[in-house]
Formats: sequence, C-alpha cells, structure tokens
Amino acid sequence: MNLKDLKLIYQENRKEIKNRDEIVKELRDILGEKCVSTNNIDILAYTRDSSLISLNWTIEGKIAGLPEIITWPKDEEAIIKVLEIANREKIPIVPFAEGSGVVGGAIPIQGGIILDLKNLDEIIEINEKNLTVTTQTGVNGMNLERYLNAKGYTCGHIPQSLYTSSVGGWIAHKAAGQFSTKYGKIEDIVLGMRIILPEGDKITFEPIARAATGPQLDKYFIGGEGTLGIVTKATLKIWPYPEKRNLISYAFPTMKDSLEAVRETLRENVYPAVVRIYDADETARHFEHVEKAKDKVMTVFVCEGNQKLVDLEDEITRKMCLKNSGIDCGEDPVEHWFETRFKVTETSMFPPYRIVADTIEVSVMWDNAVDLYHNVVETVKQVKGNLLITAHVSHFYPNGVGFYFTFGGVPGKGMTEFDFYKSCWNATIKAVIHSGGSIAHHHGIGINRSHFMEEEWNKGYDVMKKFKNVLDPNNILNPGKIYEKTWKNQGGNE
Amino acid sequence: MGIFDNIEKYSWMGPLIKNADRDVRRRLLKNLRKKKDRFYPEGEYKADIKNLINCMLCPNMCRFDCGTLQASDKETIGPAYKARIGYYLSVGKIDPNDPENKEFVDLIYKCSNEETCKIWCPFEFSVVSLLETVRDDLNDQGLMPEYCKKQIEKLNQTSTIEDHNIFKTYEDKGIENIETKGDDEVFYYVGCEMMKFPEVVKANIEILKKAGVKFSTNLDQKVCCGAPALNIRDFETVNQLANKNKELIEKTGAKLVVSDCPGCVNSLTNKYQKAGIDISIDVIHIVEYFEKLFEEGKIKIQNNIPGEYKTLTIHDPCLLARNLGNTTTIRNILGKIPGLEIRDPIYNKEYTHCCGWSGTVHWADTEISVKEAQNRIEELKETGAKNIVTACPTCELGLSYGIAEEEKDNVKIIDLSILISKAI
Ligand SMILES: Cc1cc2nc3c(=O)[nH]c(=O)nc-3n(C[C@H](O)[C@H](O)[C@H](O)COP(=O)(O)OP(=O)(O)OC[C@H]3O[C@@H](n4cnc5c(N)ncnc54)[C@H](O)[C@@H]3O)c2cc1C
Repeated sequence: MNLKDLKLIYQENRKEIKNRDEIVKELRDILGEKCVSTNNIDILAYTRDSSLISLNWTIEGKIAGLPEIITWPKDEEAIIKVLEIANREKIPIVPFAEGSGVVGGAIPIQGGIILDLKNLDEIIEINEKNLTVTTQTGVNGMNLERYLNAKGYTCGHIPQSLYTSSVGGWIAHKAAGQFSTKYGKIEDIVLGMRIILPEGDKITFEPIARAATGPQLDKYFIGGEGTLGIVTKATLKIWPYPEKRNLISYAFPTMKDSLEAVRETLRENVYPAVVRIYDADETARHFEHVEKAKDKVMTVFVCEGNQKLVDLEDEITRKMCLKNSGIDCGEDPVEHWFETRFKVTETSMFPPYRIVADTIEVSVMWDNAVDLYHNVVETVKQVKGNLLITAHVSHFYPNGVGFYFTFGGVPGKGMTEFDFYKSCWNATIKAVIHSGGSIAHHHGIGINRSHFMEEEWNKGYDVMKKFKNVLDPNNILNPGKIYEKTWKNQGGNE
Repeated sequence: MGIFDNIEKYSWMGPLIKNADRDVRRRLLKNLRKKKDRFYPEGEYKADIKNLINCMLCPNMCRFDCGTLQASDKETIGPAYKARIGYYLSVGKIDPNDPENKEFVDLIYKCSNEETCKIWCPFEFSVVSLLETVRDDLNDQGLMPEYCKKQIEKLNQTSTIEDHNIFKTYEDKGIENIETKGDDEVFYYVGCEMMKFPEVVKANIEILKKAGVKFSTNLDQKVCCGAPALNIRDFETVNQLANKNKELIEKTGAKLVVSDCPGCVNSLTNKYQKAGIDISIDVIHIVEYFEKLFEEGKIKIQNNIPGEYKTLTIHDPCLLARNLGNTTTIRNILGKIPGLEIRDPIYNKEYTHCCGWSGTVHWADTEISVKEAQNRIEELKETGAKNIVTACPTCELGLSYGIAEEEKDNVKIIDLSILISKAI
C-alpha cells in the first residue's frame, strides 16, 4: 500500500526529507537496525494522536500527519545522536510517548522523524524517606501507579488516561489527575527532571524541597509539549497509600450552589482528593439512576488519607453542602463513579454516526466561574450542527477551578467534520477568554489552541518564542505547535 | 429517535436529539442509515466489524497490560492499532492480497492470547477474539501466513505440534505408557508440550499411582488437542483432531479427564464448545485433581522439601488463572507443604503476565515473545525468589527463553507436580 494514497489532513504543512535513505542509514548505524523503521506498518501507527477528530478521520481512512522515519531510542545517548542529525539536516523531530494527547501535540504535522520514548520505561527508585519516586519518563502511568501501590504508595496523579499515558506526556502537557484537589497537578508533583535540550545538551534539575536559587527554570520545561527538550527522567512526589477513604455525594439545585459549597469547603483549608461537579445534563448522563439528583447538579467528593483527618474533612464538606442547599445522595453515586471512571466507550460510539465530539478544559478564578460556564454553553449551542454542550468541574483550588466541557454535533451543510470541530473549539475558547478564563487547564496547547496563545499571553508570547528560538534555533523539536498558528495560517484540510 | 433508544447506556442522548434542530436530526438519521454502507465491508465476511471499530477508536485503555506492546515498546504493536489494521484489512482499505501488505497481515497474528486486555476493556472483549475473526476471513481468502501453514502441516502430519509424533518418544524419555482397557477412572491427558518435560509427566504418573487412581495415558494413540489450529483458526484441522480426541476420551471409559496443560483443558472445554464440539466428560487441570486427592486424603504430605526449593514465587499461567478462572489451587497446594516461603510477584492471580509463548506471536515475531518472557522473568525475579513454580508446559518453555544464559543456574522453573511428588 502507498500511504500517500491516504487522505492527509495536514498535507500543506508537510516537508519531505530530501536525503532520506542516507539519513536512515546513518540512524541505523547509530541506533541499531531494529530501532529505526520506514515500514508502512510502523509509519501508519504514528499518524495520529487521541484528539477526538483523529478518530473520525481514522474510521474514514484519513490520517492527520505522515512521518517519514520512526525511531525507538533505547537511551539518552541515542536521543542526543538523533537530535544531532536532525539539527544538521533541519528535520522535524516529534517526541511520541503513548499518543493519548488530545490537542494534536504528538501529530507529526510536518512529517520528519518520530522519537518514540517508550523504551525509557525503567522505574529507577523509590525514596521512602523523601517520599519520591524517580523514573524514566516513558513509563506508562498505570504501570508506575501499580508498582507504587504494590510498595504501599501512590503518586496521587490519576488522570482518566492513567492507563494510556506516560510520565513524559503528563509533564509535556501539564496534566491533572482526578485526585488533583488534594495532590495537585503534575507541576505540583514533579520535583526533579533530566532534559535533553534540542541541540543535545543534557540538563538535570535535582529534586529539591524548595529553593531560592534565582528564577525557577525547571518549571519552564513543564508544559514544554516536546518543543523545548526531551524529558528523560523525573522525580515525582509520592504518598503513603491512603488508610481511609470517605465517599460523599450531594445534589444541588444549581451549578452556582454547588460551586459555592466547594469554594467554602476549600476556604476552610479542607481538600477532598476528588471533587467533581456535574451540570444537569451530565448528571442525567452519568447518574440517571439517582432519583434525588434528577434535574439537579450532582457533586461527588472523595476524602482520603489519615483516618482522623478524613473524618474531619468529611464533616466540614457536608456542612458546606447542606449550607448551600445540597441533598445528601449517599455513597452510591461515588461508587458508581469509581466503577465507571475508566470505561471510555463514547469515543468509539460517535464516529460511525459521523458525530464529531471533543472535550475542552479551561480554568477560571472563582469570581468568574459561574459566568464562564453559562457563556460557554450559550455560545457553543449557537454553532451550526451542535447537538450537545455540557460540563463538569473537576479540579479545584483555593482561588479558582478547572472546567471540562464536552461538545458534540454533526457538521451542517457544506461543512466538513474538521470545520465543525474547529468552529466548536474556537467558539469555546473565545467565550472563555471573554469570560476572563484561561484557555487550557490540563490538555495543553498542541495545534488546537496555538492560535489563541497571543491573546492568552500578550507580550509574554513573544518572550516564549524567543526562548524557543534560543533553545531550538533550527526549530526541529515538534514544529507547528504552541508557537505557530497552525489552524489559522496553514489550515489542515479535510 | 431510534438510534440510541435500544441502547440503554446512551439514553441520555434521547432528549438532546429531540431538542436538536431539524437539520441536525435529519443528518443524524441519514448517518444512522448510512453507517453500514459507509463503514462495513460489502459481501460476506466473518470479521467482527462492530467491535473492531469499538476497539480501534478506543483510547487504548488496555495498552499498559498488553504483553506484546510492553515487550516491543512500539506503537505498532498496540491493541487499538491491531484492531485498526484488522478493520482496514476487512474493509479493503489495505488490500490483504497484495504481497506488499504482508506486514499488515502479520500484525493480526502478533498476539500472545493472554487476554489481560479483557480485564480492562470497556467493552469487555479481548483483542484476540476480534483478531481471530479477521484471521477467519484471511483463511477464507487463502491468506494464511506461511508460519501458520507450517504448524498446520505438522499437526496434520504428526498429530502433534512437532515435526515428529512427540508422544511416541515416551520410551526414549523413560515415561511409562499406560494403555486403556476401557474402564478407567481417570484419563491422564498429557499435553504435547509437556512431553518436552518428561520428569513432570513421570511425577504426575507417580502421584496418580500413589493415590491409587485407575488411569491411563494412551500415548500410542494420543493426539494434540488442536490448540494451535484453534488459534490459527483452521477448523478443518481442529475438527479432525477433536474427533480423534473425543473418540479416545470416550474409549477410556473415564469419568474425568485430567491434563497437565491448561491449554489442553481450555481447548477441550471452552474452545471446543465454541467450535460446536461437545466433550461430555469433565476435563480439569491435573493440579485441580491433586487438590481434590489431598482433600480426600488419598495423597498426603510426608516429606520435607529439599532446602533449595524453600523460597518460591508463583507464575500463574494465564490459561489457568484467566481462561479457566482458577487462582487458588496452586496456592492451596503449596500452602499444604510445610516450610515454604512463597513470594507473590506484583502481577499475580488473574492479573498475571504472559510467558510470551501462548497464541500466535511466537511464530509471527519470536523476538517479541522472547522479550515478553524476559519481562516476566524480571517481574518474578524481583520477588527475590530463585524458584518459579508454575503449572503449564507452555509457560515452562516460554519462561525458559526469558532467562539469560549466565542466570540459568540461579533461576529455576519448577512444575508444581515435581514439588508434590517430592513432598508426598
Ligand atoms: C480518554 C482520555 C482521557 C484523558 N484524561 C486526562 C486527564 O484526566 N487528565 C489529563 O491531564 N489529561 C488527560 N488526557 C489527555 C492525555 O492523556 C494527556 O495529555 C497525557 O499527558 C499525554 O501523555 P502521552 O504519554 O500519551 O503523550 P503523547 O500523546 O504521546 O504526547 C503528548 C505530547 O507530549 C510530548 N511528549 C511526550 N513525551 C515527552 C517527553 N518525554 N519529553 C518531551 N515531550 C514529550 C509529545 O511530543 C506531545 O507533544 C486524556 C486523554 C484521553 C484520550
């Protein structure tokens, strides 16, 4: 089969490697025969990430990006050598871990070389005194968590994609887990990193408790999305596996009431590990069986850790829920959430009906939270072809929250699936900016949001581009993401 | 609206569709009508298209526990990608007849059948169950890969998985053959693979004798259960072997068949049943039978186990733990032997990991199988125990490929029967 016969979405962005055969030979000499491939079967495996529009393309036999060479480096030295060649030949390099990213981050939109990091999957050590685990970053999240659990610990970072994502991907996209209200986002969890810069230099940020050693350079690389370097090793915080877990759920008359209950709980310095508020539509979708929650806003809490503290958190959480008109729905809805939280079936359900759907997560300070919710819902409803726009709130901070919107619909007349998808995305992000929110909470920028970066960062965006240029003067690392308005300037055609 | 009404899970979509504007509803209805035209193959096919689609569009929620993916560390070997290729081959987006596409056909066989994926699957199927339906279509088109044909040839020529009839080697190996007189209590059904471990077969015979069981082994008449052909999906060969097995089993007069290979037990029970072949006599794993003999007091622990075997780790065979659903027998029996220290690996019981040698991957891509075996050995070694106890000849073979040459003296794989025979 000729892969070029498949419809390539980001066709106009692609650059062919001129002297491919020589490059392949050189790579094989360095990495070994089996660690380099140009076979169709391997190339096709790296033509998409998990952004939901990719799934509509997959069933239609279309591909998002088309890399030319796949590499599987076994160690840091191999990565450095690949980068050397790429710099010399100006070939795009796309770091690829588990491919669960949902904003196009790992899509090789300019072609080039895929650097699959799965071989870097050694869990190096647990330090029980410091409460840290040091690991290579290609390790799968669930395999790390299972290992920690077996030793009596947890990382507390449990994204819904735990089974299908890596530590490197979490750091790249500034991920957040379902238990983030207690344990924090990945930027709160990472204590140390080793990074190979685009030109091949290695830098190591040793784990530190806290420091006053000038600007916090290490944090700049969290959220780098494979554009600033390859993160090869990380030290993460861990916690003893919680001795107690209390499950609490309340149904509220409105989103506003529920948000108030959570805000007031957090003001008491009480942090349930899990807090999730589902708007009325999502309550109907996930908790249809809970009679007391009918037409209401379901909110689930999990308090966990030290027994005595958990009981106290439980008491305060309940008090705030009752104060804000919450109706106690018992443990059952939380148990239901535990049972179903990894059962993702909708992604498979929609594409055969040509329904286009996606999720968009954003953040906002408390004072704009309710408005942002209503603005996004009202705006996206207006997009031609829209079928649904719903939300839940799943990450909470003393000063604000992370919203998670889900949209779906069928493209209107004359619209491609991709047109509809972009319209919904753009409408959501514009409404978020208009409501004083921030455009991404934990999925990152990738392709989907890069054209809004200027509005998000203003002059800061220029500084960001300058940093990128200093670190990666040949723009080889994951080009077309974050710093370039790919959707706006270069399209991506269906 | 119809499309989601019959699926309770998606009933929440009902009101949304009802409230959508007319144009959206019209388009949805059209998409519903056209789904099959657009996304299903034309003509006759056996592939499970619906679930291949479900699997290929899933965010790969089982990938972390897919032994072949973890062994290869390549996106190419990911479960959802295998389903995607299966789907493309089925709908003709990739032409399986084009020799250039052989690598795509081969992928359909790169599975070790361990079915850990099923534990995590939101749809509750295993990927191999889908790949098998693609293999059915490939077979119908005469596209069975050469390495599979070779296995089928061996099965047809020797009735075993070897290029000679491995059962006939019993004399050379010092295994006693007991032919049936038609009035057996038990038929000890030796697996082809177990013939490579004659000490285990001898131990099993010794235990059965000590328990006073009337049994036969019928090695002169014995044939393979057909497991390889079941995996390759050559039902002509399966049926031939199944008929011979049925005949032999019935001829023994036994009320119970006990096998030293969980693969054979799985074939003779679950797989035969799915293929429409009925063996009406109960078939169980021999260690399950030994557990019963212990309970009935027909065998008793009498001896101390030599010191070298004191610290043990257990490798649960996937076929016993997951397919046959037994995670207790090995532990119960070891629990009867005094002085043993048993250290479970992180992945144990129904969460056990594969030895690499099951399914079809070891023919399609031996390197992946060896790496899978090495990965499992690492997990078992992490317990600090040097002795690995298991109860499956395929695992014993597979795991042995995972032990580095210089470690062969330090890491020992022991069949549970050997320990029992030493202890009673
Ligand atoms: C069903 C589903 C549920 C999800 N739930 C969540 C959730 O709850 N929380 C959440 O935060 N996200 C979630 N996501 C999104 C996704 O899992 C995350 O973005 C994840 O962090 C990506 O990890 P990955 O290993 O799959 O990375 P990939 O998709 O392979 O790569 C993502 C980006 O990271 C870069 N990259 C990968 N590894 C490295 C490295 N070592 N060094 C430098 N760059 C690297 C790549 O170049 C790419 O730009 C979900 C996705 C799906 C499909």
